[in-house]
Amino acid sequence: MPLLEKKNNKTLPWLKYGIGSVVVLLLAYNSVYFRKLNEVKAEASGKFDAAAFAKTFLEKQLTPKLATAPDIDELTTLLSTDKNKAFDTYSHATAIGNIRYFLVKGQGTITKINENDLTIQTPKQQLTLAMEFIYGNALRDASGEFDITRFTKTADINNVSSELNKLIRASVVFPFRPKAKVGDTVQFAGAIALNKEHLNLTEIEVVPASLK
Amino acid sequence: MFHQRQLRNANQQTSLGVTPCQTPRNSVSEKSTAWLMLRLGGFFLFMLLVGCSEKKDSNAPKKMAIIISTLNNPWFVFLADNAAAKAKELGYETKIFDSQNNTALESDHFENALVSGYSAILFNPTDAEGSVVNVRKAKAAGVPVFCMDREINATDAATSQILSDSYSGCVELAKLFVQQTNKKGTYVELLGLVGDNNTWARSQGFHSVVDNYPSLKMVAQQSADFDRNKAMDVMESILQANPNIDAVFCGNDAMAMGAYQALAAAGKASKVKVFGFDGADDVVSAIKDGKIVATGMQFPKVMAQTAAIYADEYLKGKREFAQKLPVAVELVTKKNIENYAAFGKKEQ
Repeated sequence: MPLLEKKNNKTLPWLKYGIGSVVVLLLAYNSVYFRKLNEVKAEASGKFDAAAFAKTFLEKQLTPKLATAPDIDELTTLLSTDKNKAFDTYSHATAIGNIRYFLVKGQGTITKINENDLTIQTPKQQLTLAMEFIYGNALRDASGEFDITRFTKTADINNVSSELNKLIRASVVFPFRPKAKVGDTVQFAGAIALNKEHLNLTEIEVVPASLK
Repeated sequence: MFHQRQLRNANQQTSLGVTPCQTPRNSVSEKSTAWLMLRLGGFFLFMLLVGCSEKKDSNAPKKMAIIISTLNNPWFVFLADNAAAKAKELGYETKIFDSQNNTALESDHFENALVSGYSAILFNPTDAEGSVVNVRKAKAAGVPVFCMDREINATDAATSQILSDSYSGCVELAKLFVQQTNKKGTYVELLGLVGDNNTWARSQGFHSVVDNYPSLKMVAQQSADFDRNKAMDVMESILQANPNIDAVFCGNDAMAMGAYQALAAAGKASKVKVFGFDGADDVVSAIKDGKIVATGMQFPKVMAQTAAIYADEYLKGKREFAQKLPVAVELVTKKNIENYAAFGKKEQ
């Protein structure tokens, strides 16, 4: 028997054991998994998991839409010249009424750091970036992706906003806020709320969904 | 001859599904034929009348019943009147029923509406739990129900529930509350009726913001049943135990006015910031005068009109409606008070 063939015969069992072990480990890994007890309880009781919904909504629906948001300066120009067109084209809201939400993006320089927000100067206007009060429905509704007809409970609808805001506070605002300095350039994307009947373009506040 | 006639009569009767006459006597047979003819004539006359009346009914305007929890409160009178006006504008006859905050009376109104042939019910429930059975009764009878302003504790009974977004409105009020108090101090919360879902939606919206600020401490939380006089009494007793509070959050404007009166009587009105919810006439004036800091403006007209429009769309064949449709609540402060009047915006 040639020497090479002998060597192959010796390594073959090790190869077999190696592949076998990998298969067993893979099977074992995929057979056991850990989940939070409160998640399992919520699922068993049929309770809506707002936190999980908000996470998926942020990743799959809101974030991809940010790239298609209108530039804040272009939007405010359109709002000044043709309010109805701007609202019809870009605004969304779950509730009926005059409060409508827009997804926006833009770039500006930080001119002032306030207790609850940052003052930003864009090429055409001054606005604020919310840092403290990340509450309300702006982020949930602005993309138009949130479908209220899927919900039957008022609490679930409200909890989506609440959980989405928590995610943004934790993943976007908290890491950004301590590093922000006057004079820094910031690229932002997020949501704004405007009252269609009493439009005020002098105090625009952006609730951020992305900050760079 | 006798047999032929009897046989012919018998055949006629049989063909009409009537048991053949077995009597052999001629006069009796003739009498039964005449009786049969009379019945036939009566039947055709009845059918003619029914046909005519049905034709008349199909041309008659359809009717919408408007069943309201109470007409003792101007807020609900405004809601009812606007629902009726919109329904009339859409071509319906309307009747407003006052439940006087009594679910038994409300149940009677539902019975009456169903028996009287109303096509749809625009409904302001008396009790979130107790009113469910009435809505289910209407649904079983094929009559759609559209809830206005107050919800019921069921999502498979009403066709749609059009409600103020109380939670979000109070989130906005709470943001202002935190700013106005500089994130610290002691405060009191006056709750509405504990059995009303709006009470808790407002309270939860408020606390979803304020509870994130540990230096803001709630020293008392009590129900005053949405009532001005009760709020005044409750506030007076709270002030005895907690004389140095910084703010009061109230679940409606009537309680805000009651709380303000108690604070004024104790000489603390200028120090304590009061917040309400509703958009009532006296609070709109009080905000102008600087007595109340802010309120959440509701829009009963929008809710009433939307309910009537939805009912009309349902009767014309539409079936897809959101079970819960929120109506935006707007924050009203001294800064923007000029844009608002009681129960909504000023007509422009």
